[in-house]
Amino acid sequence: MKRLRIDRWTGQLLLARSGPSPASTPRAAALRSAAVPRCTAVRSQSTIAVPQIPKEDDDHHYDGTDHTRFPPLEQLPPRATSLPSPPPERALQSAKLAALHARLSLPERLPLQTLARTLVDASADENPQFSNTNLAFVGQSLINYHVAEWIMCRYPRLPMSIMYAAMKGYAGPTSLHQVARSWGVEHAAVPGGEVDPGLLQFSMHKPGDAVIGFGYRRAEADGLKKHKWRHGMSSRVVFDDDFGEVVDTEDAKDELRLRADAEYGNEYTRSLAEKAYATCARAVTGAIYAHAGRERAKAFVEAHVLSRTLDLSKLFVFKKPTRELSLLCAREDFEPPVARLLSETGRLSRTPVYVVGIFSGKDKLGEAAGSSLEYARTGAAMNALKSWYLYSPGEGVRVPSDMLAEDAAPWEPAYIDMGEIIGH
Amino acid sequence: MTVRALQQISTGRNGVGTFILQCKKMDFHYCDWAGSSKGMNGFIKSLLPKFAASNAQVEFAVSPRPSKHPVIIAQYINGREKSICVRNMEPYEILKKAEILRDGSGEKNRRTAKPVQSINESVRGVWSPYHGNGLKV
Repeated sequence: MKRLRIDRWTGQLLLARSGPSPASTPRAAALRSAAVPRCTAVRSQSTIAVPQIPKEDDDHHYDGTDHTRFPPLEQLPPRATSLPSPPPERALQSAKLAALHARLSLPERLPLQTLARTLVDASADENPQFSNTNLAFVGQSLINYHVAEWIMCRYPRLPMSIMYAAMKGYAGPTSLHQVARSWGVEHAAVPGGEVDPGLLQFSMHKPGDAVIGFGYRRAEADGLKKHKWRHGMSSRVVFDDDFGEVVDTEDAKDELRLRADAEYGNEYTRSLAEKAYATCARAVTGAIYAHAGRERAKAFVEAHVLSRTLDLSKLFVFKKPTRELSLLCAREDFEPPVARLLSETGRLSRTPVYVVGIFSGKDKLGEAAGSSLEYARTGAAMNALKSWYLYSPGEGVRVPSDMLAEDAAPWEPAYIDMGEIIGH
Repeated sequence: MTVRALQQISTGRNGVGTFILQCKKMDFHYCDWAGSSKGMNGFIKSLLPKFAASNAQVEFAVSPRPSKHPVIIAQYINGREKSICVRNMEPYEILKKAEILRDGSGEKNRRTAKPVQSINESVRGVWSPYHGNGLKV
């Protein structure tokens, strides 16, 4: 690694700020104060007059800068460094923020100050008037509502567990984290009042106590995690959050939190970063709703969340597909399913292939190829079940929120399925 | 017996639903003294204001780099950066280089043999030897 030669640094790095100290750590302050006398002879690219430098230095050393051409760097307002997040009025001066606004094609009515607020996580600024908590709550509700109604209308037969997994695949924290990353949002190393307002700000050391989303904290949450107590789908619908997950208690992360101070990064800090990015994506949606209304917010969710690709057929795990299929056929008054060998090759070889179809009367429900008869039959039953569960009325299916438009056509009832197959 | 779920994450494709310009920042470096920066200085004076105004998605930064050739450095959303040295170029040549950097995706240059790349499933499906009438040998 190259050694840092502080005596060769130009004045821009060391002397740029004449106002409050940009570095709050005592080490940085000591470094700077030690370096100031040495830099008097160094050619300064900074244009801010530094009070420590005697005026006659400029006469001896022409520093090459034309002060009319290079206006001073941004002057921080007083007390800026003591604030937990940048003051809102600085949002108008941030080039990053203006670029982000244009990159997302945000409506003109959404001011840069609000966009700056969406980038301040509750872990950086505890004051809810300056953090994005409230906007994120609105955004979370909007995103989850639009994703849920879209999945329900588009795939009306999905079992509840797959529905939750699909919800999380589209609107979960990992997915929204990637959405915010794909916008080119960068984060500041440490939050503070002197940070560029165009950077996402969150703390790596404390989670913040913002509540973003619905859900009850279960009394038995610890037991669920520790002893893996059974909790059925019905209680998940009632108690848990929008993705059917137990509302987390922070106590279990104490050990990781302690390690987060010592290590460069671990599971805990990664989860904090993921949460902060996801919260930012939600807050931007909430801000669009607050300033530009329902239609723009819905279009934004469709453009950034629902347009992503998720193969729902890869979410299914079946335990006994053949039995489930026969139960389905009994429930729907189909003839009992029968597996038939459609073709085969190499039965006595090392690599046989069997193609098995499952028929109900004359209708073929599913088909699969496999290297053994049992494997092919199971695969065929899975394919039959998937084609049942993944029934879709079509791509252009209408959702309830379409009715909120003023010139909406009369509502035609959406297809509602009687539910998944329940066996013993 | 009931269906269980495997968790998967949706994947985004830029341009489906919305398009986001991948170039997020451009740095223009120049030198006041050296002759190789003559075109760059002209570009910054005459063409850059219009270029920057028409590309609001990109953050622009202009800064001197004394005793060095002029260079344009572009930073992309995928974390990579690309730079083009524009020494001794005319302003309009530099504008073309800036447009190249602005339109880039930030990925490494690679040869594309197929006209279309897609993560969608094939509409026709994969050919199977076990279906249809088969081949008579």
